[in-house]
Order: sequence, then C-alpha cells, then structure tokens
Amino acid sequence: MNEQELHGKLSGAGVAGLGELDTTGPDPFVVVEGSGIRPVLSFLRDDPTCRMEMLHLVTGIEREDRIEVAYHVSSLEHHHSLTLKVVFPRPEAGGHDDWRPGVPSVADIYPAADWHEREQWDLLGIEFEGHPDMRRILLPDEWIGHPLRKDYSYPSEHGGIPLELDAVPMYERGPDWEREEKVRKAKKEERKAGTPLRQPPAPGSDRPHAGGQAPASSKGQRHVIEPHSGDDDDGKSGAH
Amino acid sequence: MGILNHALPNIGPVKAVDTAIGWGRKSSIWPMTFGIACCAIEMMAVYAATFDLDRFGAGVPRATPRQSDLIIVPGTVNAKMAVRVKRLYDQMAEPRYVIAMGACVCGGGPYVKWGYNTVKGVHKIIPVDIFVPGCPPRPEALMDGILKLRDQVGRDAVFARREQAGKEMDGRYAAAS
Amino acid sequence: MYAVEEKNDVFTEELKLNLGPQHPSTHGVLRVELKMDGEIITASRCDIGYLHRCAEKIGENVTYLQFTPYTDRMDYLASMNNNLAWSLAVEKLIDVEAPERAQWIRVIVAELNRIASHLIAFGTYGIDIGANTPFFYAFRERESIMALLERPSGARMLYNYIRPGGVGHDVDDQWLADVLAFCDEFERRWKEYNTLLTNSHIFIKRTANIGVIPKDVALAYGCTGPVLRGSGVKWDLRRDVPYLKPYDELEFDVPVGEGTHGSLGDCWDRYWVRMREMMESIRIIRQACPRVPDGPFMDKKTSGMYKTPLKPKPGEAYVRCENPRGELGFYVVSEGGTSPIRCRTRAPSFCNLAVLDVLLPGTMIADGVAIIGSLDIVLGEVDR
Repeated sequence: MNEQELHGKLSGAGVAGLGELDTTGPDPFVVVEGSGIRPVLSFLRDDPTCRMEMLHLVTGIEREDRIEVAYHVSSLEHHHSLTLKVVFPRPEAGGHDDWRPGVPSVADIYPAADWHEREQWDLLGIEFEGHPDMRRILLPDEWIGHPLRKDYSYPSEHGGIPLELDAVPMYERGPDWEREEKVRKAKKEERKAGTPLRQPPAPGSDRPHAGGQAPASSKGQRHVIEPHSGDDDDGKSGAH
Repeated sequence: MGILNHALPNIGPVKAVDTAIGWGRKSSIWPMTFGIACCAIEMMAVYAATFDLDRFGAGVPRATPRQSDLIIVPGTVNAKMAVRVKRLYDQMAEPRYVIAMGACVCGGGPYVKWGYNTVKGVHKIIPVDIFVPGCPPRPEALMDGILKLRDQVGRDAVFARREQAGKEMDGRYAAAS
Repeated sequence: MYAVEEKNDVFTEELKLNLGPQHPSTHGVLRVELKMDGEIITASRCDIGYLHRCAEKIGENVTYLQFTPYTDRMDYLASMNNNLAWSLAVEKLIDVEAPERAQWIRVIVAELNRIASHLIAFGTYGIDIGANTPFFYAFRERESIMALLERPSGARMLYNYIRPGGVGHDVDDQWLADVLAFCDEFERRWKEYNTLLTNSHIFIKRTANIGVIPKDVALAYGCTGPVLRGSGVKWDLRRDVPYLKPYDELEFDVPVGEGTHGSLGDCWDRYWVRMREMMESIRIIRQACPRVPDGPFMDKKTSGMYKTPLKPKPGEAYVRCENPRGELGFYVVSEGGTSPIRCRTRAPSFCNLAVLDVLLPGTMIADGVAIIGSLDIVLGEVDR
C-alpha cells in the first residue's frame, strides 16, 4: 500500500485524532493530534493489512512557529512505510527554553521508542507522558538545557570540565584560577569592544553548573556564545 | 628509588645509571587498552600484524591503568568521558606518559565549533607528552609519536638533578599553585 | 537460563558491578551497570553518551556537503556506507540521481567497506571470547581493503568519498582489476577463518545457545541487520527496498540464522550471518566490477556544490540503507536554506543496543561479554 491508501485505511477505521495527508515534500506524512498518536500506532501495528512491526525513529523538529514530533513506522511483511507527525504550535508568550511540549509515550506499543523518546527529551526537551524511565540518555544527568533547541546557549564548563577552546587546562589551575579566568575574560572583552559575544556572569553565580535543572530566570548565569555571530577576534574558534 | 629521585649530582656514574634505567624504561612501554572513537581502530591497526608495535617493546596493551605506563587517548573526549579519563590517568603509577592521538584530542578537531559537549583537547584535562595530529592519524604517525616518546623516556633523569628545562617546569607549576 | 540453587550454608549477596566505560570488551566506551547474584546477572542498565559528539547540532549549522565528513565519524568502521546514506538523503531532497557509473562504484566501495567492517567484528569478537589469533588475521585482510579504498579516496579510514550527486573521484581499470584480485585472495583467507574460529569447539561452546533473541523481540526493539537476520528474519534493504539501481540487477543471497548449534538467534548465529555476508559481498563485487559503465562520476547539477552550497526546496526526506550493522536512516528536514533545520540519524547500533537490557538478566557475566560482542556495536554511532 502507498501512503494514500494507508491514510484512507486509517480514516476508514475511524481512528480518533487523524489529520490530513501532506504530500508536498519528497516524503508524504500524516498529521495526527497529540492524543491520537497512541490509537493510530496501535491500529497500524495490529491491523493485519498494515502490520507496521517496526518503529524506526521518533524525531523532534523545532521550527520557528512550532515543534513537531515525527514517527517513522514500516512493515517488513508488506514493504510499506508511513510517517506520522504531531504538531505543537509555539505559544505566544514564552515558548523558549522553558517550553516543553508533551506527547503521550508509545514505549509500551513499540519498545524501540523507549530510547528514542529519551533521546528527544535529552536533546530537545520534549516530554513523553507515561514513559517508564524518563532520564537523560546521552548527556550527563545534571546537564542544563536541551542542546538542539535553536536558542540554546553553549556552556563554558560542566562540573569543572572546561568546554571552551581557550580554557585554562585543569592541571595548570591554582587555587585562584577563577580570579585569573575573570581577569583574562575581562581583558578579552575589552579587546573585542563592540561585539559582545559573551555576557558577564550574573552576580552571585559562583557555581553556574550546580546540579538540577536551572529555572528559566537563571539563563544569564551562563556565558553565552553565539556561534552564528562571527568568529572570535583571535580566530581560534573559527578553526572549523 | 623514591627519595633518591633527582637528589644526586649530575655526574658521570649517576648519568650512566640513569641511562641504563632509561633504556630499560623506554624499551618496555606498556600502553593501556583504551579506545574511545575512530582513532582507536587505527591504534588497533598499529598493534596488529602489519605495523606491529611490538617491535618497539610497546605491543603489550594492559587492561588496567595500574599496570600501564602510557595512556594513548584515541578519540574525542566529551564532558561525560573527561571525568573518566582524568580518573584513569590518576590511577596510573609514575612514571606515566600521555599521547594525545587525533585532531579532537589535540585541540577539538572537527567538533570545535558547535560541539557543546566536547572538550577541546585532552590537554585541558591531563598533561600531554606527545601530540599526534590527524583525523585519524595514519598508523605510521602514531608509531612516530611512540618513537618520539621513547626518546623522551630514555632521556629522562631518574637520580640526577633535573636540567634547566625541568626547573622551568617546576616553576610553572609553583606559580600556578 | 540458569536457575540459582540455594543451599543452606552458602549465601551470595547482591553485588553491583560497573562494566566500562574503559573495558577491553565493551567495544568502545559503553557502560553497563549490572546487578549480580554471584556470577549471574539479575538486572542491567546501559549507560551511553560517553562519545556524544553533537553531530545533529553540527548538521543543523553546516551545509549539506560539509556534513558528509561528519557521517564518516558516526560509524567509523563503515564510512562508505554512511556517506552513501547521507548522499542518498540529500539527493532525494534535491531530486537528483547519481550517474550510472557512480552508482556501480558506490556498490563496490560500499561492499568492500562492509567486508572490512565485518572483519573487525570477527577479529574483536575472537578477543572477547579469548582467542587472540583471529584479530591478527582479520587485520591483515583489512589492511588490503584499506589500501584499495585509499587509492580513489585518499584516506585510510574516513573516506568522505561518496558525495551528494556521485562520488568524489573516478576509479581506473587497474583499480577494478586489483579489487577482483583481492576477491580471489579473500576467498582463500575466509576458509582459514573458519578453521581458526568458526568451527572451533571452544568457540561454539562459548557462543551457541547464548544470548538468544527471539524474532518478536528483535522486531519490537527495532533490531536490524545481522542481529535481525540472525533471529531468522530474511530482511535486507538491498534486496527488499533496493536503494541503488545495481542491487536490483545483482544476484546475491541474504544469509539468515538457522540455529545450527543451538537455538535460533543465539550469538553463534549472528556471528555466522556476518561471516557469510562477507562472502555475499565478494559475490556482489565480482559481478559488479566488470559491469562498471563509462560515463561521468558526478551529476552536473551538484558539481557546482563546492562553490555554491546546495539549497534544496522545503521538504523532508527519510532514506534508509543497509549498513553492516543494520538499517541506517537519515531524516533530513529542509526549509530552503543552505543547511537543514533537522538532521536526524537512525543509527542501527543504537537500536540494536537497546535490546541488551532484555538479554543480559539471567546470564552469566562471562556470557554477557559474548553477547555485547555479538551485537557488534559502534559507540560512535550509538552516541553520535
């Protein structure tokens, strides 16, 4: 069956929450409401003419006005595949790092979704409701933020491990290395004068990466590097 | 040895003993079995038959840091792994040596700009003796790095007082601490 | 499965064991937290991410051509196959098909790299089990393949050779003749491997009936490649969903596990599927080498991409390819710019590894090492 027949089959079965078939791109996809993703996937897996045994991917996509979650399923028996999408429009206010859209987990329908959903939570901050073990999978547990968000600010260090190109090596740091670092950074800021790539740390932020999730208001605590806004003047981070 | 290290004057007999110990050390460097990423495969190729690192006495990879003298860091170190690399290095007994293998370990490599998670060079975590650049370095390059390390190990003074370069090194550490 | 016998005077306490990330037999930096009852694993939890290199973030910032080298570094044992999947995904977005000569060259280099990758699986699996010798034999042949692939691409391991629209450089007739000569040589060597490891009594004892993955579990967890075929499912994208034209015209079998020495889907079956796949690849290369047609090796539309970056129309494409480890997919979403806004990888090792937490409980710790080895994971691809 091709995508149109599969979509017809789904709408014929009267599964709730089914949307339209989009055929504009190279790969067509079916839009599904958030609440309808579980019934649709259960139907696709169990129906003998569909037999979608395998879930390939769960993907979160962040666009300007929305976040999408795409599911790729396919059948080994009938050699057909289908893409399903759940769309979350970006809310008017907020809608940045602290906005975490939620979608029902399908980890009990397809066990393969377990790790994929954890990865999407880790990298994009999409919450999968009812997931058995919602922890970060790739990044350390105490990591702050979700790196694949477009407005993610790059950390300068994590738990004492320097992550910047021009950081001082750990074994060369004395007890007062933090003060030296501040002096060095201030000098660099002066040289740059006019292109503020890094924001100075907010007052009272002696340990910017203490454990736990940062509240939304603490964004200024991190040193913000904007990779798009030109290279450093010394050209070091432009080595790419 | 212990308390006699770097305590004796730099005269002929002491130098001769140092040379003998250095020769022994450099001819039996035991690296640690430690693979991270792509470079580990080239490192394995160096251990295997075609390139045969055992010619230089360094072909016996040990599985534990306690028994090894050399840690070759082959592949990108990220924030999660850096803690482990540092712990492995701390567990090794002196004298210990580090070879940074590959572009990522030498200075970030291809992951330098958008790598929110990668450490830009393992020298930010542990002191490095030899840098072997390349992505990945050819086996010949790694062997050259090990040969250079052999020279360095053979030159190291054990009992004799350190040369000027060593003093500068001490001074740098003293200034930092 | 092993039953725990409880005797009155012998007690074992639950022990938590940490395997990895620096462990010789975890094939990189995998960490597994184990709960042990004596020598028997009662629970396990995988901890990955020790090689997370931000590939997807980088993909959203670089151009389509610039991302090709990063795909090399995902599954670094099968760079050609990764390049191929990425190129096909981009080609689908910009609606271009590679010229015929490029397609045949792609088949040959991808199959050569598949052999090289399976050779590593064979050699390191021997080390996991306790046989050191196969490693040296496997690397000897692998060096021949590296030398062959170095001639058109210029690199030993990470080739960046297959690019959107074709291949990076042309090959000559002498190269094709040398590839055929290698095939003859390899067939002889392959028989050596079987006397060395495959039919070894100790090896069979260590791998048969160990780590059995039933068919339904393999499907539910999204296992693909030799792991799925070892469980008896005859599924190979080269045969079932041919993503390159030549695969339609070539003759080859899809080896599946048969439960020769024990249950269907055990470690030995997966190992034997890989060994036979090497010979199938040789068969494909033998047919393909004489049939490489003359013509251009790069499509005209994309040959300008080195100067002006490709700009596909808004849309999305999901392309899957048969990697040595299973089904590699690239899901690329474009919004019309020079770089994709989402560049997602379906890594076969990632899905194959997910089944480990189901396999390990109930087995011995020594068998656990055999099971991890038989899944043949590459951590660069698991973590990306």
